[in-house]
Amino acid sequence: MGAGRRRPQLRLPPAEGKLNVRALVIDDSRVMRRIVAGILEDLGYEVQQAGHGREGLDVLEGGYEPDLVCVDWNMPVMDGLQFVSAVRSNPAWRQVTLMMVTSESEHGQIVRALAAGAHEYVIKPFTADAIRDKLALLGLLPQEVSL
Amino acid sequence: MTSLASGYGDTGERRRTEDAPLEITALIDEETVQSIVQEAWSALIGEDEFLVPLPGGLPDDAVSSWVEVLGPWTGAVVLTCGRTTAEELSRCLLAEHAPPVLDAEDVADGLGELANVVGGNVKAVLPGPSVLGLPEVGSAPAAGPDVLRVDLLWRGRSLTITLQGSAGALTGHQNDPHKNEVPL
Repeated sequence: MGAGRRRPQLRLPPAEGKLNVRALVIDDSRVMRRIVAGILEDLGYEVQQAGHGREGLDVLEGGYEPDLVCVDWNMPVMDGLQFVSAVRSNPAWRQVTLMMVTSESEHGQIVRALAAGAHEYVIKPFTADAIRDKLALLGLLPQEVSL
Repeated sequence: MTSLASGYGDTGERRRTEDAPLEITALIDEETVQSIVQEAWSALIGEDEFLVPLPGGLPDDAVSSWVEVLGPWTGAVVLTCGRTTAEELSRCLLAEHAPPVLDAEDVADGLGELANVVGGNVKAVLPGPSVLGLPEVGSAPAAGPDVLRVDLLWRGRSLTITLQGSAGALTGHQNDPHKNEVPL
């Protein structure tokens, strides 16, 4: 970016005016958390991480208000499907977009996740472009706009 | 073997034959496994990372990661390679997000995640419904006779993928095949 040019601001369609786009990444694999968080940070997200569903709920109950939660399915303590159901049962969190990122690739599992309240489903292995495309579909892709 | 259609009354043979454990080689072939692994490598390790289907010797310090599949076919999907290969795989997996120094947990975690991704996609090809276990890392569980082994070379280094059936040896969830499920 050249000197003297105004710095672009991030804007999300469903949260117009917000300068900070937030995500919570929940996966029991530290490596996978870093990968997903890195992709989101490259897109302009501020990211927090949790190691399983219960820890993810603790983050939400602690007042963190993410626009997006990326959650794995198979995890200890509380799995992703239980997390999705818990979030969906709390009206205070109804604005949160839930995206499952998991190696569970059977059609029946995808249907169950969507029925439980997940908005999107990304099958591992995935690429950064696949995440970006899903976020675009959800209207959650940060866009640079000139002020 | 006596014909099942012989019709000489119920000797129990038909029932026993139908209840026989599914053998992995009847459910999936090496080419499909290799294709699943290659897809995982291309997406997670690097677009231009290719696996060559050639056998090579595993080093003495080989380490394994695996996930259990519990369902009509019960067993484990195991990835085995040398420790140096495991470190290199984890670094590739993290790419630009890798910390300056990879610790043992990063390496174990990375190898476990690769087994998880391969195992999840293998499970999708097998008869269901099945439950996928959490990844484990260490010395691979002992293999019985029900084994499908795929030998591969990555960057000239050996790694193997084995799908090894368990005749009830796996512990944990046999009585709770839906442990990860919640009512809709």
